[in-house]
Amino acid sequence: MRAHVTNTEVVIDVQGLTKSFCKFQALRGLDLQVERGQVHGFLGPNGSGKSTTIRVLLGLLKADGGRVHLLGKDPWADVVELHRRLAYVPGEVSLWPGMSGGEAIDLLGTLRGGLNEKRRAELIQRFELDPTKRGRQYSKGNRQKVALVAALASDVELLILDEPTSGLDPLMENVFQEVVGEATQQGATVLLSSHILAELESLADRLSIIRDGQTVEHGTLTELRGRAKTSIHAEVERIPEPADLAALQDVHLDGKRLSATVESDRIGQAMALLTGYGFKSLTVEPPSLESLFLRMYEDDETTGVKE
Amino acid sequence: MSASVTGTTPLLRTSLKHDGRLIAPWIVLATALSASSVLVYPSVFPTAQDRAGLAAAIGANPALGLIFGPASNLTTVDGFNAWRSLALGGFLAALMSIFTVTRATRGQEDSGQAELLASGVLGRSSRLLTAVAMGVIGSLVLGIVAGFVTVVFGGGAESSLLLGATFTATGWMFAAFAAVTVQLGSDARTANSMAIGLLGVLFLLRGFLYSIGAPAWTSWANPLGWMTETRPASGNHWGPLLPAVALAGIVLAIAFKSQAHRDFGQGAIAPGPGPARGGNPSPLRLALRLNRGSFTTWTVAFVALGLVFGYFTTSVTTILGANSGVAHFLASGAVTPAQLTGAFLVTVLALVGIVASISGVQVMLKVRSEEMEDRVEPVLATAISRRRYYASNVVVALGSPAIYVLLAGTLIALIASHADLGVSFGGVLRQVLATVPAVWTVVAMSVTVIGARPHFRLVAWIGVLASFVLTLLGPTFGLPNWILGISPYWHVPNTTAPVHANTGLLWISFVTALFLVVGFAGFGRRDVAR
Repeated sequence: MRAHVTNTEVVIDVQGLTKSFCKFQALRGLDLQVERGQVHGFLGPNGSGKSTTIRVLLGLLKADGGRVHLLGKDPWADVVELHRRLAYVPGEVSLWPGMSGGEAIDLLGTLRGGLNEKRRAELIQRFELDPTKRGRQYSKGNRQKVALVAALASDVELLILDEPTSGLDPLMENVFQEVVGEATQQGATVLLSSHILAELESLADRLSIIRDGQTVEHGTLTELRGRAKTSIHAEVERIPEPADLAALQDVHLDGKRLSATVESDRIGQAMALLTGYGFKSLTVEPPSLESLFLRMYEDDETTGVKE
Repeated sequence: MSASVTGTTPLLRTSLKHDGRLIAPWIVLATALSASSVLVYPSVFPTAQDRAGLAAAIGANPALGLIFGPASNLTTVDGFNAWRSLALGGFLAALMSIFTVTRATRGQEDSGQAELLASGVLGRSSRLLTAVAMGVIGSLVLGIVAGFVTVVFGGGAESSLLLGATFTATGWMFAAFAAVTVQLGSDARTANSMAIGLLGVLFLLRGFLYSIGAPAWTSWANPLGWMTETRPASGNHWGPLLPAVALAGIVLAIAFKSQAHRDFGQGAIAPGPGPARGGNPSPLRLALRLNRGSFTTWTVAFVALGLVFGYFTTSVTTILGANSGVAHFLASGAVTPAQLTGAFLVTVLALVGIVASISGVQVMLKVRSEEMEDRVEPVLATAISRRRYYASNVVVALGSPAIYVLLAGTLIALIASHADLGVSFGGVLRQVLATVPAVWTVVAMSVTVIGARPHFRLVAWIGVLASFVLTLLGPTFGLPNWILGISPYWHVPNTTAPVHANTGLLWISFVTALFLVVGFAGFGRRDVAR
């Protein structure tokens, strides 16, 4: 997998990143590689270190150890130069209470080095945002829209989005996905931290899953799926001997009803085995993202570390 | 009524447990103020002669009267304590009450905690009642602790306890006023500013009217005047505390009435829609914008200060003429009226500078609160360097108090130069300019704290506190020069004197530069929002 990464340009390159706050170790050797032009899903349970990683990438926190490169530069030392080329949407959008949304968008956009006026107007319209409301009057979703418009209205190379849609309604979620799609078509790279699995499924080219400040899985969705198991439910004509089903896992036999799981790359083998007993019915379910994540979030041993 | 206050007891218990530690420092400050007087007085002024000297010195410095009110009995330890602590102790108790009430009402509505609470089994008036109860209990504890500790350290029982009771009564009145201002303003900051503004106006009026010998009804028209009229150690009148308690009750009734009619999270003064576009923003404009509300408040305050002090300067020789010691010096020609006015101006402008430095420290503390409320992150995630962001705020923190000092100073200079006192407009203005570097040193200390060690942000106030204590009280206590020299205002030359050196200003500016360097280095290096 590493070989694949080195062939293309790596926009975010984090290796062995560590960061502690007093005695609490937030990051313990985290790895993250994001290639140019891709949407990279970044996920993990609450408190696993996603926001801390993003703040290190933004030069807001100083890394204790490890290697962090952003667009080939050091995020702590080359802050201003890097920030001209990226835009950020924080997880908790806190607006200035007395400042209107329109003013906040112009403030953040201008400080970054200018906004694309046409894009700004278009995004405000598509996100159905009222820019004249004051910061304290916006709901959570509308505060996020302000931050999204401010970030997406600039022509930048890299978008860092920290759970940007947790307060958006499904309609606005669609708009968000369209807009991010358009950004990548124009060559932007996106680091997308999110818990909304449907969003990741439709947007993310690659994923990194972290837990307790470490990367536990990374790869394309297909690769991750390949490592997960497919579940099989069948009603068979002849009852098989349990010993004959060694190729399957989690076997559960209830009369003629059989349920089991199998490694995704061994489905063919499993089918061949089961055909011998005759089917009345058969369901084969590929692993859903949800089951994938549930398994990874729940696992107590970090057996998934692949380095 | 009972349904509207359901849940007050458990809420009050929890609130006291969590916010009690925020009340404690005020109690410590007020107690230290009162107890230190009785502790220090006998050793600093052991003989009757020393005490008469003190009375003469304080009588000869009318600027002190503006802050401390009238001195009726400086020859006993309790009289001295009453003069030194009554006004300031009440001021501290009032600030404590205002902050406590606002934090537990508007502050919670701003942060969203109140919504969680209000959705629970909680009556409509329970949160306000809890907040007021905290202010009332806090003031009560403050008064009792200050009174008893003072007695333990050697203060007279009745006068010390009466003094403590005036602290409590002042705290109660302002808990009530704050309960009304949180109904009016639609966020915590507005509510705080209105209540503190009222406190400031009443405080200044009291000192001013007593100092110019205004008719007696003027002190009875002012709730803070009632406190002075209790006269601890020179009469011990408990009577004037009654109207204070009655006033607190009436104001509270108004507060609860309007609380019952207001929508959650809304105030009587609602903000209108804002502009759809943001003009041409920069970090400096952002810093100016965020402090816009307090600019207005402070500008009004300094126009008032300038007018009051200006008027006061014109009558300084008259007021001093009534003082027998000074009259003797004047008659013998050892001191000219112009010299007296010049020395008075130095003190008054230092006082203006000390008040102005509060506004500068506030700007720096705002940097930290913006940071903790996650609003600095998105700004620093743009192409703005930390140095530029911090510099914009530091410019505002140093610039705004300088403008306030110039504003009040110009008014004083205008009024004083037209009053035939032998001082010129240019002469006073030079003194005003000489005061500004001292203000900057005090503000620069807060730049260091917020930049390098923001977790100890209360330390940012030490400069203001130290310069206040040393400038106003230090000379009276006969402290040695090396201690007085800790205050930057001590190094401000009297430019109206024919011979003066400006080297002191160079030294304190060097210290200012040092503070700034450390502050910028710290802010550039530390984690943001931790």
